[in-house]
Amino acid sequence: MTRIERLINLIIALLETTRPLSAEEINRRVAGYGHENYESFRRAFERDKDELRGMGIPIEVRKIDVLDEHSDGYIIDKDRYYLPDLDLEPDELAALRLARDAVTGGRNEADRGLLKISVDSRAAPVDDPQVAWGDDIRQPALSSIYEAQLERTPISFEYQGAAGERARRTLEPYGLVNRRGHWYVVGNDIDRSDIRAFRISRIHGKVSALEGGYDIPAGFDAQSHLSAEAYAIGDQPADAVVRFDESLAWWVEQNLASAARTGNADGGVDVTLPVGNLDALVSWVLGFGSSVEVIGPPEARAAVLRHLRPLLDGRRG
Amino acid sequence: MAENRGRLSRRLERILTMLPYVIAHPGVEVTELAAKFEAPTKELVKDLEMLWFCGLPGYGPGDLIEVSLDGDRVSVDMADYFSKTLRITPAEALALYAGGAAVSSLPGMEKAEALRRALTKLDGAFNAGAGESPGISVTLEPGSPAHLEGLQEALTSKTGVEIEYLSASKGELTERVVEPWGLIAAHGHWYLVGLDHLSGEERMFRTDRVKKVVVTDDPVEVPPDFDPDAYRGAFSGHGSSTLTIEIPPAVASWFEDYYPVTAAETLADGWRRITLIAGGERWAATLIVRLGGDVRNVEPPEMLAAARALAASIAARYE
Repeated sequence: MTRIERLINLIIALLETTRPLSAEEINRRVAGYGHENYESFRRAFERDKDELRGMGIPIEVRKIDVLDEHSDGYIIDKDRYYLPDLDLEPDELAALRLARDAVTGGRNEADRGLLKISVDSRAAPVDDPQVAWGDDIRQPALSSIYEAQLERTPISFEYQGAAGERARRTLEPYGLVNRRGHWYVVGNDIDRSDIRAFRISRIHGKVSALEGGYDIPAGFDAQSHLSAEAYAIGDQPADAVVRFDESLAWWVEQNLASAARTGNADGGVDVTLPVGNLDALVSWVLGFGSSVEVIGPPEARAAVLRHLRPLLDGRRG
Repeated sequence: MAENRGRLSRRLERILTMLPYVIAHPGVEVTELAAKFEAPTKELVKDLEMLWFCGLPGYGPGDLIEVSLDGDRVSVDMADYFSKTLRITPAEALALYAGGAAVSSLPGMEKAEALRRALTKLDGAFNAGAGESPGISVTLEPGSPAHLEGLQEALTSKTGVEIEYLSASKGELTERVVEPWGLIAAHGHWYLVGLDHLSGEERMFRTDRVKKVVVTDDPVEVPPDFDPDAYRGAFSGHGSSTLTIEIPPAVASWFEDYYPVTAAETLADGWRRITLIAGGERWAATLIVRLGGDVRNVEPPEMLAAARALAASIAARYE
């Protein structure tokens, strides 16, 4: 019997059983195992479990005897195995096809997911404008965290803070947000008893699932815990005035239309921006070269000069 | 996780996805399956034949799956447990959400409303019991949506555009004729991808740096092999020159997410030595100026000189 046949038999046995099956029973009863040597069975079984779990098949470990902590049994929870009926309307399916075609780095994932939703999803090519999502969705931590969030399982992970220090964090994930090209997980930071946001790309190594469960507060809005611009996030609140020369006045009108603006006699524009992080403001302003200048507060002007100093002095490079 | 799966699990997944359809459509033609699943009929027949030896423990006549292959027609019985497909994985759902976000944030997209309904259903199926809280929210926030409608009009009618563009490599406005191929949402911005007549090459243009768009009547042919995937990691610059810099570890952690890094190594003191594609001298100078004190050993020296000159011209406004 081939391995794939054995895997199918294992899925059937664990789906259809009414009680968890012990490893010994699986070895004895599921076609494809029947090893004389328990160790070699165990190796094959572990490999098979990993393979199936990797596909998203929820093999659960439950106690066969509640009084015996060594009585592990295995079962697949039907409610978590089967795709619930989505009752998609034809236009909804067509729209999902468009979404699938828009994923660049994760097109295979999107395609496989959509094929499960509809076997017709590969037929009928969509002739809409080419629109694509260019950010990486294939960060391993991302899908692990999403999975934990779906299962309401607390997690822990090694996180690198903005200053470069690393620490272990424990979190109940409430929501994932992609903002301006970055993925964040927002949730209850257990050690700090507070809602915190973490950038996924700063998570190092594996995300571990912890024991226990939790509830997500009704109506929780993950996005409200993240600020929009990097310079607006932080604990140094101030209003900064930034001067754009005439050559960039159009850019301000087009992209900062919601900010308070004052026109200057020479055609330039002064923009007032709420700022929480001076360093981020400096970095943003310097991206415009010499056509943009911070007018105030004085600390922000000093921060620009301090930032440029190593280059001006030639201490670096 | 599900990303790096091998052939075996892909094949198994195809079987588990195909079975519900075959069970619901007894006598379906294998050629129809081959079209739906984009797989050779031979392979699918092999998959189905294999099921003869699968079933419930006991594996007696009433336990095994019944597969009948009659010429080109196939039926499967005694496999009620496979009459519904397996759940989509978190990675698969995420991919659909991400793509959905790109599509629905585009102004004037006809299918955006249907897409929102579809994603809500998907979310509901996943997050049963979560109440009103959505499992995932994707906000693109691509700066301003300026010009997207005009660009989309050009893409739909397959015609060219004339744009005024604030070039990052020159630091000034340029006028160019572009044959639009597609729009890519990445790193919080929208990018127009297409053939740039000025350089004669395919280029990406950040739409918030576009000052003006005029849709022309010139017909555009999108290359059949145009693949937006090829532009991943190329959002911050283009060009043939490279820049090598050394940056501290705290900077490297985000820097390497953002920029088109071609080589990186960790040095004895923990700093990272990074080589990246530079989008021209002006682009490199801006990058170095933004890094300020967090950069050393810049190569080539012209780029460092350009950065110093830029730093001096900025500093002149503050001193």
